[in-house]
Amino acid sequence: MEYLIHIGILICIYGILGLSLNLIVGVTGLLSITQAAFYGIGAYATAILLTTVGMNFFFAVLIGMAITAVISLGIGFVLSKFKDDYYALGSFGFNIIVYSIFLNWQSLTRGPLGIPGIGRPSLFGFTFSENIWFLVLSAVFLVAIYFFCEYLTNSSFGRVLKGIREDEEALRVFGYNTLFYKLAIFVIGAMLASVAGALFASYITFIDPSTFTLTESIFLLAIVILGGLASNKGAVIGAAVLILLPEILRFVGFPSDIAAQMRQVTYGVILIVLMLYRPQGLVGEYKL
Amino acid sequence: MDIVPQLIVNSIIAGAIYTMVALGFNLIYGTARFFDLGYGALTAVGGYAVFYFYKSLGLNIFFAIVIGMLVSGLLGWLLYRFIYAPLRERKSSSMVLLVAALGAFTAIQAVIAILFTSQFQTLSTSAGNDHVYEILGGVITQVQLITLIIGIVLMLGMALSLKYTMFGKAVKAVGDDEEVSKIVGINTRVVIGKVFFIGSAIAGLAGILVGFDTGIEPTMGLSLLLKGVIASIIGGIGNIYGGVLGAFFLGFVENFGIWKISGEWKDAIAFGVLIIFLLFRPQGILKR
Repeated sequence: MEYLIHIGILICIYGILGLSLNLIVGVTGLLSITQAAFYGIGAYATAILLTTVGMNFFFAVLIGMAITAVISLGIGFVLSKFKDDYYALGSFGFNIIVYSIFLNWQSLTRGPLGIPGIGRPSLFGFTFSENIWFLVLSAVFLVAIYFFCEYLTNSSFGRVLKGIREDEEALRVFGYNTLFYKLAIFVIGAMLASVAGALFASYITFIDPSTFTLTESIFLLAIVILGGLASNKGAVIGAAVLILLPEILRFVGFPSDIAAQMRQVTYGVILIVLMLYRPQGLVGEYKL
Repeated sequence: MDIVPQLIVNSIIAGAIYTMVALGFNLIYGTARFFDLGYGALTAVGGYAVFYFYKSLGLNIFFAIVIGMLVSGLLGWLLYRFIYAPLRERKSSSMVLLVAALGAFTAIQAVIAILFTSQFQTLSTSAGNDHVYEILGGVITQVQLITLIIGIVLMLGMALSLKYTMFGKAVKAVGDDEEVSKIVGINTRVVIGKVFFIGSAIAGLAGILVGFDTGIEPTMGLSLLLKGVIASIIGGIGNIYGGVLGAFFLGFVENFGIWKISGEWKDAIAFGVLIIFLLFRPQGILKR
């Protein structure tokens, strides 16, 4: 039972990450491979605020979102100068730079040692220390963010974003300031990812830089592409499938270090097969 | 002791390794016009093939190196034949190719880790008692000197064969305009296939030389690949001399950048340079 709860919490966290990246990659068509950086910033902000200041988790989430917003605004602004391949490559770069900062700014992040002893969230005297309650909390976050994303993509704001994906030039001709829209969605996506980071840090109670590498960003991209670009439902389904699949491999009886690598093989093969035979993913509405 | 001469020598050595990666990458990009990230994993394939044939089976060292190059070349060709070529013929966007290449990269890297464990291995059998030469007051090992020489020979060889052989002219024509090349009777599929084979074999050789110099691990490909890509872009993508210039430029910036700070920052510095170049001089030092 504990095990199922653990899987459930992971699906919630990755579902949030999938939704956040889907706004950027799926809806707006910006191939960003740096989402793990914002996930990490959220996680580190919460971890540091909880362990040093002893702040309430929910305040820490808000501050983490604010910090992520500022950083992602800067990154998004630089990236907005690039197109297609170069956009992807530049976003790669930012992931590696942020990872280096986690690793090397030792006075703040304790570098490779990581931050242990992060507390569980508490609200009005109630602490989410049992995993079942943490699952409830994560599920509430997931559902709230899901409906927020649904609202966003179906609003007029969301229609402009889809327009940018289809034909940015045309929208400019109509007088839309596409830079503003691209930056706004990039920042919103990053802020949502930081919420997932806060949940992760508080759930595992320990974080270190190795969680927030480029490989993680590629995994998040796999979630969005498998589920289907521009589909919020797809992002959550993609997260569930990609979390569950390696667990099945574990039951088949691979030793744990090989199972970890088998996960990578699975993600890689899934990306290739999808690109070859179903570029729109499971329930996606458009192709890359 | 003065550190500057050793920094200069280190920069040149780093430049020589980046040169090789950049040469292969540039050749492929210049012809097929897409960022072949799978190329990164092929450096590890070359390294591990030599590890297997030379250290485990005890074959002659030169024989093992040739096999290593053939194996990575062949794998590169297979990736092209069965993944990239069908996608290109369908006129898929460069995003699709990029994601497929990302998948190939992740899968190959993980397969190597399953076969050979993710432990760091060294190829050299005489660790520590290599021949050492003194140049300009800095120290350079025999392997590093060989790397430097091979890098320069490859650059000249590639530049001359592109200019004077029929195959080289065909490669250039395909790079300039694939459609027109087809019309004038060049079998573009075969030409690009050969380019993938040659470029990937060079990647393998780069991985092998790194393996003899420091060592190999399954994840070595990513950082090598990114350095090669950065070198190509800041040198002027698709331009052979540009790639070499970019490689040495990057080598110097990286090694002098960590003069006063920890060596862990190297990757962040490299990407910082890339982003500055993309913003202010996207065409690179030398134009194609």
